[in-house]
This record gives sequence, structure tokens and C-alpha cells, in this order.
Amino acid sequence: MAWGGNSERRDEGDDPEDAEEELDEANYKTQKDAVLFAIDVSKSMAKPPPGEGGKRKGDTDSALSAALKCAYQLMQQRIISQPRDMMGVLLFGTEKSKFRDEDGRSGYPHCYLFQDLDIPSAEDVKALRALVEGDDEDLQDILKPAKETVQMSNVLFCANQIFTTNAPNFGSRRLFIITDNDDPHAGDKQTRSAAAVRAKDLYDLGVVIELFPISHEDKPFELSKFYEDIVYTDPATDQDLKDNVQTARSGDGLTLLNSLVSNINSKQTPKRSYFSGMAFDIAPGLRITVKGYQVIHRQEKQRSCYVWMEGETPQLAAGETTKLDADARIVEKSEVKKAYKFGGEYVYFNPEELKDLKKFGDPCLRIIGFKNRSLLPTWASVKKSTFIFPSEEDYVGSTRVFSALWQKMLKDRKMALAWHIARKNANPILVAILASGTPDDEQTGTPFLPAGLWLYPLPFADDVRNVDLPVTARCSDGLTDQMRPIVKNLQLPKGMYNPTKYPNPSLQWHYRILQAMALEEEVPESLDDPTIPKYKAIAKRVGGYIEEWSEALAAEAKGLMGSRAVKREMEEDDDDERPAKRTKAAPKVKAGSQKLAGSMTNAQLKLAVENDTLKKMTVAELKDVLASKGVSTAGKKAELVEKLEQWVEDNV
Amino acid sequence: MADKEATVYIIDLGHSMGEKHSGRKESNLDFSMRYVWDKISTTVAASRKTWTIGVIGLRTDETNNTLDENGLEGYENISVLQEIGPMSMSALRELRSEIKVSKTKQGDAISAIVLASSMIEDFTKKLKYNRKIILVTDGKGAMDADSLDEVTEKLNDVGIELIVIGVDFDDPDYGFKEEDKPKLKKKNEEILSRLVSQCKKGVYGTMAQAVEELSVPRIKPVRPFKSYDGPLTLGDPETYPNAMSIAVERYFKTKLAHPPSASTVVVNNAPSRSQVDDGDEAIEDNGNGLGAVRQVRAYKVNDPDAPGGKRDVDFDSLERGYEYGRTVVPISDMDESITNLQTKKSFTILGFIPFSSYEPHLSMGEAGVIVAQKFNEKAELALSSLVNALYELQSYAVARYVNKDNQKPFLHLLIPDPKLESEADCLFDVPLPFAEDIRSYQFPPLDKVVTVEGTVLRTHRLLPTPDLSKAMSDLVDAMDLSKFGKDDDGNPTEYAPIDETYNPTIHRINQAIRHRAVHPEEPLQPPAEILLRFSKPPDELVDQVKKQIDILIKKADVKKVPPKVKGKRKRETVKPISGLDVDALLGQAKRTKIDPENAIPEFKQTLGAATEVKAIEEATKQMGDIVCTLIRESFADINYDRAAAHLGVMREELIALEEPDLYNNFLRDLKKKIYQKELDGDRMDMWRGKIIAGGLGLITDQELEVSSITEAEAKKFEK
Repeated sequence: MAWGGNSERRDEGDDPEDAEEELDEANYKTQKDAVLFAIDVSKSMAKPPPGEGGKRKGDTDSALSAALKCAYQLMQQRIISQPRDMMGVLLFGTEKSKFRDEDGRSGYPHCYLFQDLDIPSAEDVKALRALVEGDDEDLQDILKPAKETVQMSNVLFCANQIFTTNAPNFGSRRLFIITDNDDPHAGDKQTRSAAAVRAKDLYDLGVVIELFPISHEDKPFELSKFYEDIVYTDPATDQDLKDNVQTARSGDGLTLLNSLVSNINSKQTPKRSYFSGMAFDIAPGLRITVKGYQVIHRQEKQRSCYVWMEGETPQLAAGETTKLDADARIVEKSEVKKAYKFGGEYVYFNPEELKDLKKFGDPCLRIIGFKNRSLLPTWASVKKSTFIFPSEEDYVGSTRVFSALWQKMLKDRKMALAWHIARKNANPILVAILASGTPDDEQTGTPFLPAGLWLYPLPFADDVRNVDLPVTARCSDGLTDQMRPIVKNLQLPKGMYNPTKYPNPSLQWHYRILQAMALEEEVPESLDDPTIPKYKAIAKRVGGYIEEWSEALAAEAKGLMGSRAVKREMEEDDDDERPAKRTKAAPKVKAGSQKLAGSMTNAQLKLAVENDTLKKMTVAELKDVLASKGVSTAGKKAELVEKLEQWVEDNV
Repeated sequence: MADKEATVYIIDLGHSMGEKHSGRKESNLDFSMRYVWDKISTTVAASRKTWTIGVIGLRTDETNNTLDENGLEGYENISVLQEIGPMSMSALRELRSEIKVSKTKQGDAISAIVLASSMIEDFTKKLKYNRKIILVTDGKGAMDADSLDEVTEKLNDVGIELIVIGVDFDDPDYGFKEEDKPKLKKKNEEILSRLVSQCKKGVYGTMAQAVEELSVPRIKPVRPFKSYDGPLTLGDPETYPNAMSIAVERYFKTKLAHPPSASTVVVNNAPSRSQVDDGDEAIEDNGNGLGAVRQVRAYKVNDPDAPGGKRDVDFDSLERGYEYGRTVVPISDMDESITNLQTKKSFTILGFIPFSSYEPHLSMGEAGVIVAQKFNEKAELALSSLVNALYELQSYAVARYVNKDNQKPFLHLLIPDPKLESEADCLFDVPLPFAEDIRSYQFPPLDKVVTVEGTVLRTHRLLPTPDLSKAMSDLVDAMDLSKFGKDDDGNPTEYAPIDETYNPTIHRINQAIRHRAVHPEEPLQPPAEILLRFSKPPDELVDQVKKQIDILIKKADVKKVPPKVKGKRKRETVKPISGLDVDALLGQAKRTKIDPENAIPEFKQTLGAATEVKAIEEATKQMGDIVCTLIRESFADINYDRAAAHLGVMREELIALEEPDLYNNFLRDLKKKIYQKELDGDRMDMWRGKIIAGGLGLITDQELEVSSITEAEAKKFEK
């Protein structure tokens, strides 16, 4: 394996920043998310969509089926994107009742815990899919609605118990309620109150209720009838800035399923901040606070693990590291010191000094001035950007100041240059602060990203590689003109790069295969990969232009080769101090003139192939030429000659 | 590979080097050695066998050199302190002990240069080397200038660069002139200056400037790395004849430089031996007795029959696998490749987008530069036409990039960079995110406020007033850096361009390591000024925009939330969206005893309703019992997280109510119970793993002023 590949992989995976993201101050809460779907199983939920075959064709899902499909889809997504997070499915309003192991009469009538809250297993995926597909009659039995109404207080307390026992220390716990019933306890004040009390319990437990209402065409979903007593605004957000509850409905060219999927997807990942309470110094004496979010983050597949195969079922083996010294004695943590290798020895600093070395002050974001955005070279990129948003927690008024700055920078296309320390003891960096427009703004290039400010890490001089580029020929204006229609006619859809249209092929493939293996299904043969260009369409749309361009290119290249050969010949002759007379004669490869071998022009090579003079070159010369063309230099002389001939044939 | 180097340092150790001049607190020698040690330690740090160093002492008490031994005259009081060779730490230590001011005035600098050049000539023979002599002197020794021409001829012949750095030498370019310069020194400066000017390669300067420039970080040169070499295509040339294929090469344009990382070491019991560390690189033990630490991994699986519920398993009984949710999927080594997507090395364009539809914050990381294959006229012209057409149409290309067969595909943005004078047409490229890389976080709009009822407000305390917007706009315009810098000719230019910004961490650590290696006994030095240059707005600019800042501060009217209030105020009654008073409903139900099943909500609600301390005490007691029961009844560690969550809520609530003692007393009691194994066996994992590691220790006076527990006491309690 060439080490080039490894070096690239290294920086894709072992980014020290990734480890940093996991780190948090000592806290009994884990940075994990638990989502419990509570899906209403009622007659109206199960009713097939109206007007089949009519104007809303394609909308074939009942509300229940759409909800289950959403849950199934989310489960598969979460296995890839949130492999440590939990999920569960609770059906309510069912004829049958089930909670944990007990069957039949449970403490929560008409609540059916289809999947307990846990990290999903392959079996869970399979079971949920079976329920979605609806082929299994036993399973369909579960989806039979109850004759009497379910008590919402029971549903909520059931959820409470599930969270309390299965995810007691999760940083984020959310109950997703999907229902079309805006008034489950019409007229019954006491049951309503009981539900409100249980909802308050959930709030106090730290569980957030996310409501995904479904409205049928004739009847809007009215929150005020019941759910306004159940749903609380997220305490972390400002009272006036809460997200609105979106109602899913079919219509407007959107199926019910799509509408629900988009509502649920927007809540798919819990909003975790990367840093909070960050002091943002806009100018000396003007400080506000912001929170940072990793809105963009390279999703990687999980690392491989070790599996113990000798038990009844394969079991994950947990690795433990022990530190040993030169005498194979176990080293205690307290004995360990840190030192830098230097000139074949260790240079030692004590822990306070080490700390001091990395200390450049407290976490901060400090603007040192503003520049026109045009001064940011597009290549000046080293890392993903962090999104920041104001927070009123420490400084009242942060939001309006932030908003004023954002509006100004957006309007006049300015960027700010800022000194930034993201976390305690993090390395200081310089960032460009860039403003992104609102998603519904036509002008913005990134409608899939939120509006706000971005911390774009700038490279230091240390990070810039200065590649010495050889001077190359510039093509004629004519050739450029022939390229123009090709560029013009192959614009991406909507003239933009929209990442949501391009799933990561290697990641998708990895999990597709794992899923098939885990479920003992047939391994798929290929992957639908939108990152592969649509070759047929390209050939159809610009094939003709490319042909014309190719012809013009060939002619122009021939001319250039000729003039270069002449020039080289003259130089060679100068070198040899011969009169520059034989300029019209074809240049000859001079066997033995080693200094030229590596820089033989394609024209010379071609000639050498035609005259069969490559063999006259030495092995060192051949290797030199091959290396300069990026071809492997392994092999015997005959092989080298063959390789070079092949290369000339392919490329000249 | 970097070129081989042979450098000889000639260090003037004459008696006069012990003097202090020009108001400096250190001797001339110490002053000069700042420069020399920095140079030498940089070489040591590089640890390259091909970077060699020799050191000659000039005006030493003794005489020790081959030319003198061979009976030549004029080489007295010159000592070779180190023959040319690679420089190690131990060599550096030895050298340190030799650098002392002598008692003599004798010793000819020109002779030392001759000696150095013959050392270099002997060592490097005719091989390819960067040859250098660096002379450091105060110019107060007698010099024989008769043979200058011969000396320069020899230097130029062998190809040696001569660098002369003098203490308090006059340098009009730098702007230094020594008053009352002794006659001899004046003459010597003239001789040396003439000598340098006769050399093909030479530098002549004053020490003050050399020392000053030490603080400018030096960037480690890195060889360009070719990350791709193959066709850039549009269409599929294998299937369609009318597809485009350009032979290109891709190099890294940016690559994050990382600070040196510290190794984990341990004090050796048996000193003086060589060690093998992770990298199989032999590390000599030096006086401080530090040795590398090796890491061994052991694997355990759950086994209910084994003591502690876990047992060790043999590494050979393990297979590699992946997790799919909580299902483990073993994959034998043979199958390994099947989860990897089969790909072919390729770089192929999907389509084009206008400049205006791309935002830089979409970039995922390091950039590359794409050029035409070398000596390939067709590729040069083809790439040139693509670059220029893209630029004229103000368009980027989006391409799928696979750098080697069976590597992961990525999507990259290709940015046209048409050439200027004597440059190459090229493309830059940056990686783009995939669908999975974008997290769908929702944020409220920044330019309007939407109320619960759905009304859109344009005037609100969270939105800027026109006055505030104006003040902000004025400040942003005034604090402009686009023309704030000065170029070499004093013309306005961009302030803080990338090539003037240095990574503070890398250079701070390197600087400290070098300093510590040479001066092990000295404390850390503060970071160099230049590294902190961009940590705040330039003072000059701040003075200029004082007025705008003041107006903005006034219009912004930002108020800091007093620390006391934050999080500690008596909780406001939380209500659902409807505003229903659920607490009132609760009041009717009257929960007097906390239900262990619903403990956290009920504990909070009880405290919320509590009007006197006694009720708080009672609720805390009940909660404490619930925690103890959870631990006692826990099978292995099954309830630990739940117990910790309960404790966490207790702690938070009692801090909010400013009742730290209630929590602290309970915790002391709990510690006793756990240590005395009163909670059904060994529960130390609960104590260490959840309570201490989870930050659930005693409430200190740092967290809450009314607490009587200090940070130190809390630390001690946790041990």
C-alpha cells in the first residue's frame, strides 16, 4: 500500500478535534440522546387517504402508516449518524396493552410498548420494518385500535417510566408524540388535569415533548384544545424565540409522509452546543455572549471493534490499556510524565509548565477588525466552520447586537477577523467570521443552513504549502471560448451545490452491508450513488461541444509541441555551442544526455517511440522519465520501456 | 529530501566577550549565544543525520586544531570544540560546558575561517551540501588581513556561504552605529565587511538585528506532496468517445501543521540504558532518567460466572467486527473488504455552479491545487481552457474525487485560478459536505421575532433599533483592516494577511523546548510578542475608532447578568404554553410522600411548594433514602446511572435553594455507607465512577458562597 493513501486517511479520521468534541467537563449526564416515539393508533389515524387516484395521487399512506415509516426511517438514520443514542416505539390507543415483559393486563392500559427504549438492534430494525410493511397478521393485530379512549396521563406516565429506567442520565430525552387527535379528553376536565400533571412530571424529569400533529383536510389541528397544557417551551431558548409546532398534512404537492418526515427530520438531532457562554468581544468594551454549534461535521463510520466469538452469541470485547515501563512494570497514572522528544532525548516540563505553555487565555472570540469578503482566498480552507448564535444568558442585549452585526456584514459583504479560543486550553486560532443569509432568501447560496454567523478557521502561514508550479502555456482565447458552452450547459440543479442531495456513498454502503449481514439478508450488489455523474446526460448535453473542443485542442497542442521542440533544440544546440542551424531537422533523443531525460517533452518521447530509440536510454534515464510522468518505476529495463511506450500511446 | 548541510560556527570566546555593552545586562558572549544556541538547537530539534555542525572556539586559552598541529603559523588560540557531525543533545550539553570566556586577547578570526573552510572541505568532499561558516565576534581581536583574497577564493571555490555577525557592528541598513568605537574594532569591521562582500554568498550583520529576528517564527519547509496523479474527466471516456479527459496532478495547498506532541514517559528505575518507544525509535536515556512508556491492551468480555462479572479473553479468540446499532456484526478478515465501497481512482466533474451560489463556510477542510501533468502540452492547454472558461463564466466545478483505487469518494469544489505573469493556470479544490454531514439544527430568525401566536414583529428588544444598526454599521466601516497594513514601501495594504500569521501554539512550544534544552535550569519564557500580535485589535486602530465604539456601546445597552442571579434565583413557576397553573392542580392532589418511581419530578415539585426549611429537609431525606435503595438493590451497576441522576437533581436543587449542607451531609453519610459496604457489597464503582467522576462531590464555596467547604476540602474528601 502506498503511504500516500494512508496519510490522507489519517487526517480524515484522526482529527484531534474529534476527540475534543466528545470531551466535556465532568458531568454525571452523558452527551446522548434518547427518543421515544409515541404513535397514536386510532381509527382516523389508520384511515386510508381520501381521493385515491385523484389530484393527490401518490399519497397512499394512512397517517399511522406514515408515522411508522417515519420511525423506521429515523431508526435507520440514527444507527448511522447517532450510533450511541437510544430510540423506542410506544403505540397508544391500541386494543392490546404491553409493557416490558408482562403481557395482557399492564399498568398502562391501551399502551403497547412495541420497542423498549434502547440502542436499536438489527432485530429492532427488522421488527419495525415488518410492522411498516404490514404483511404479518400477528403484527397487524397490534395496530387494532381500542374501543375506548386511552388516558393521556397513562401514556405520559408510561413514557416517564421508560425514560427513568432506561435513560436516566441522558443529556437529551425527547418524547415524539404523533397524533391527529387534538382533543382526546373533550369535556372531561379531570382526565385533562391528570394529563397536565403527568406532562409537568415529564418536564421536571427533563424530558422534552415534541408534538408532531397531523391534520386531516377538513379539520385543522387546534393546539389550544388540549396540547397547550402538555407542551412546554424549551427552557434553554428564550421565551419569545421558541420554534413553532409544525402541523403535517398532505397537500401543496407534498404527501403526508414527506411532510411528516420533514417535520421530524428537523428535530432529528438534539441541538448540542459545541461551546456555550462564549465571550464575544465585538470591540474593546463591547462584549456579548454566543453559543457555538457544529452544524457541519464529517460523519464517519464507526471504528471497527473486536468481537469474542467463542461464546453463545458474538460479544463485544472491551479493550483496556495498561501502561508498562521498560522493565514491564505496570505504571500508575500518577507516575506518568509528559516530555518532548528533542535531539534523541526527552526534554521535560512539569505539569504546571505544560499547562502554561498551552495557555493563551480564557475561551474567547475577539474581533480584531473587518475586511471585505473578497480578501478571503477560496483556497484558504483548513477545517470545517462552526456556527454561532447569540445567547442572552450572560449579557442581556446580546441578540440585538448580534443581529445588527449580522445584518451589516451580510449587506456590505464584510467579514470580521477574530482571535478565537474555542475551549479551555484549546489552541488559539484566527477565524474569519462570515454571515449566512436566511434560508428563504433567494440570494443565499446555502438555503440548507441556518442564518447567522460562521467561524471559518483561517490557515496560519504554517499551514500553507507553497507548491512551485512550473510555468505552463496558456491556451488561445478560441479554445477557452469552445469550453464555455460546456460549462454553461452543465449547471447543477438550481445552479447550486445542495449537499442534502448527495449522501456519502462509502458510508451508505458500509451500513447497507452491515444491515444485510446483521439481518442475514442478501448483500446488495450495487448502490444508488448520486455522486457518480450522469454520464449519459453529459454525453447528450455537451458531447458535441466536447468533440469540437477536443479537435481544436489537438491542433493547438500539436502547434505547441512543435514550437517547444524547436525551442528546446535551440537551447540544446546553444548548450553544445553549435550553431543553431539544424532547427528544421527533427529533434533526436540523445542517449546519454542524462540531465535531459527527466524533462523530455512529449514530442521528443513520441519521436523516440516512433524511431524505437527508447531502448537506447539507460535504466536511470527511463526511471527518471517515468517518475516525471507519475508512472511507477519498478521493473526491469524491458518493462520500463514498455511502460513508457504505453504511456506515450495513452497520453500523447 | 532536504539538502544535506554542513555548518561551522566560529565563536569568539576572547576576554573582551565577557564585557557588557550598549546598556545590555548580559555579557557580549551571552548575548551572542542567544543567536547561536537558537540556531544550533533548531538543528538538534530537526534530528537529521545529514544536518551536520562543527564548532570552533576563537581566542581560546588553549590551542587545539590540526593546522596548528601541522606546524602552520597564526593558528594559535583557536580550538576545535566539536568536529563536524550530526548534533545530538549530549553533544549540545558538552558544548555548553565549553562555551566560556577565556583570559586571552589572542587569536585571529581570519585564521579561524580558513580552519573552518578546510574542515568543511575535508568533511563534505565533492558531495552536494549546503556549506556555511557562521562567525560570531565582537571584533576586538587582532586580525591579519594580508591573505583576504586567497581566503575568499577558497570559500568561493568550495562553495561556502560566509555569515559574519558582530556584536555592536555598525549597520546602516538596520540603523545601528556604535559611538566611541575603538580603532581596532573599526578596522576589523572594515576587513570583515570587505571579506563578506568578496564572497559569492555572504551575509554581514550586527548581532542586535540577528537576535531580534530570532522571535520571527521559522516555518518548517515541507516537500510538496502529490495526492493525485491521473485524469480529470468530464463524462465517461470509457463508454463515450466524446468525453473530456485532462491529465492532471494534485498537490496539497493547505495542510494543518500540528504542534509537537509530548510523549508519555516515566522515571526509570534502572537508569542509563536505551529505550524503545512506540515508534520503535531508540531514545537515549539522558541524565533526567526518563524513559518511554509502553502500552499493552487486554480484552475482557462479560461473564456472569466470573468474579466481577468480567473475564479476560485471548486476543486470538477475537475477530474484527462492526456495530450496527447494538448488534455486533463480526467480519472475518477475508470479508473485511466487502463493507468498503469498491471505487476506481478518478477525478470526475458532476457539473458547474456560479460563484454566487457557494459560501466558504461550506468547505470541510484542507485545500489542494490541481495542475496539468508536467511536460504534457495537451494537458496544459486543456486545463488552461477549463480554468479560463470557468473564470470568465464566474463558475466553479463540482467533482467526485477518489485519490486511489478503493478509497472513499469525496466531492470537491474546483476553483479556477487563471495565471498571472509567469505562473501556471491551475484549479484549487476544497472538500464539500455530504448529506450526512449537515445537521438540521433549527434557529429562530435574526431579523424578526415570531410570537407564539404567529405574529411577526419587526420591533422588539431582541432586534436592533435603527440607531443601533447605524452605530454598528459605522463601527464595522471604521474598523476596516483591508488597507490598514503597510507593505515594505510603506503603502497601505491588507492587515494580517495569511503569510504574516503564525500558529502561536506551535512556535511557543518549539521555542520553549529549544530554550529548555539549552538552559535546563531556567524557567519558561513568555511567548514572543509576535505570536500574540493578532490576539486583539491593533491599538492604533482602537484609538482611531474610539468615538464609534463609544456610540455603539451606548446604543447597544448590553447589561451583564449579575453572577449571583444566574441560575440561583428562586425558580419561576414554569407553565405550559397555555399558561395553565399545573402547580395549583398538584396542590389539590397533595403529594406528601415522594414516589420512588417518579422521584425526580416529585422531589422538584415538593421543593417548589416548600415554604420552610423543614419541608426541604424532609424531601431531601426521602430522596436520599431512594438513592440508597437504588444502590443497595442494584444488580452489579444496573441502577448506578439512575442513582447518579437522582443525586444530580438533589445537588442542583439544593444549590438553587442555597442549602449546601443538606447535600453535603447526605453525601458524607453515603460515603460512609459505601466504604463500610453497607449497601450490599462493594459499591466503590458507584462512588468513583459515578459520583466523583460525575462531578457530584461536595458543594464548595466556589460554587455557592454560603457553603463552608473549600475546594481543597472537597478534593480531600474525594480521595
